[in-house]
Amino acid sequence: MTELVRLTEITKVYQGGVTGALNGVSLTVEAGEFAAVMGPSGSGKSTLLNLVAGLDRPTSGSVEVAGSDLGRMGETALARFRRDRIGFVFQFFHLLPNLTVLENVLIPAQLKSRESAEAPGRKLLSQLGIEELADRYPARLSGGQQQRVAIARALINKPTLLLADEPTGALDTRSGDQVMELLAELHRAGQTILLVTHDAKLATRHALRVISVMDGRIVDDARLDTAERRPAEVIRLRGEEATR
Amino acid sequence: MHTDDAYCVCVLRNVSLKFGVLGLLAEEPLHGYEVKNRFEAMLGGTWEVNIGQVYTTLQRLERDGLVRPVGARGDRGKLLYELSKPGRDALDGWLSQADSGPQQLHEDIYVKLLLATRLANGALNPLLGRQKRAYLQRLRDLNRLEDRARHDGRHDLARLVRGALLHAEADLKWIDELSEEINTGVTE
Repeated sequence: MTELVRLTEITKVYQGGVTGALNGVSLTVEAGEFAAVMGPSGSGKSTLLNLVAGLDRPTSGSVEVAGSDLGRMGETALARFRRDRIGFVFQFFHLLPNLTVLENVLIPAQLKSRESAEAPGRKLLSQLGIEELADRYPARLSGGQQQRVAIARALINKPTLLLADEPTGALDTRSGDQVMELLAELHRAGQTILLVTHDAKLATRHALRVISVMDGRIVDDARLDTAERRPAEVIRLRGEEATR
Repeated sequence: MHTDDAYCVCVLRNVSLKFGVLGLLAEEPLHGYEVKNRFEAMLGGTWEVNIGQVYTTLQRLERDGLVRPVGARGDRGKLLYELSKPGRDALDGWLSQADSGPQQLHEDIYVKLLLATRLANGALNPLLGRQKRAYLQRLRDLNRLEDRARHDGRHDLARLVRGALLHAEADLKWIDELSEEINTGVTE
């Protein structure tokens, strides 16, 4: 497998005691992985994701993504890197309210090229099961639909890496499950995904690797066994009582 | 000084199997093998019952007047059992009771943790780390099992797995709390 992300001895210090600092984090992610970064709020997991996305810069240490050292990039190059390489899905969708679904999805493509991306945009909406929403405005959509639109927007430029920060945090269970199933489908199709969540059930549902962050440090990096187990190997029911 | 209780020979009596058998016989008369197969199917394969256990349970239930044989032995010595009136009453009584009594903590980790605290002079991180991974793996396996149950239309079973998932999440949270407590130097 090809190494896609390499964080080396990352430290991030915030002035004024803001939570989310990182302290000596090193991490690699291979292309094709679906890894979850798990930790309580304020542990630094979102900071880690923002550094990988090039949305923030570390206080010290290096961030390399797809062979590029982000620390050596100026702001323009970094913006281009984010546009071309990174798809980012947030907890609160961040769709532009005065643009239609299709127009929202096409924004990153328009920033990248003057060529119309309408056809691939519509195809993407179709793949995500929301083609009929193309001409609607975000306010008319459910949370689950808005997140699908946000995922389509994140995918329009065929990112090398899809980053998702609590993507189901603002959704009900059913919509959240659907969004996670969608991410799992994307992973099966070869998409590298780095998911940030505080939810262990969510982290273990589709991700095959769970990186635990606590107080700005990686405290565990577990690769899960994917072997199918018989039900009796997973749950053992007992209703025993001792009698003489 | 040891009491007699310390040396008592305890027999594990499987209460859920007993009432599971009564519950299945409440639907219709069955013979031993059918009871075994239906019990296992009801629990989605999470409990593989020994046929000997089923026969022993049926014999005890017959002895206690809770089930009775129907007719004579049929093909290959099969004997049908049906629920008696006292059996129905016992089943209804059991179903209507809340599960109270002590919390059951079957897993070794609870005792391991107490011993490790004494033997390792508080160096619990390796134990907690290994246990955390075990719980993460368990969560993954339970997620798969829940998915399969839903896919198969077994929503009753999915509810059971959901309970197990919540337990596993609580166990994981407990391990995380212990790790944090140890690593931040909080002691009693």
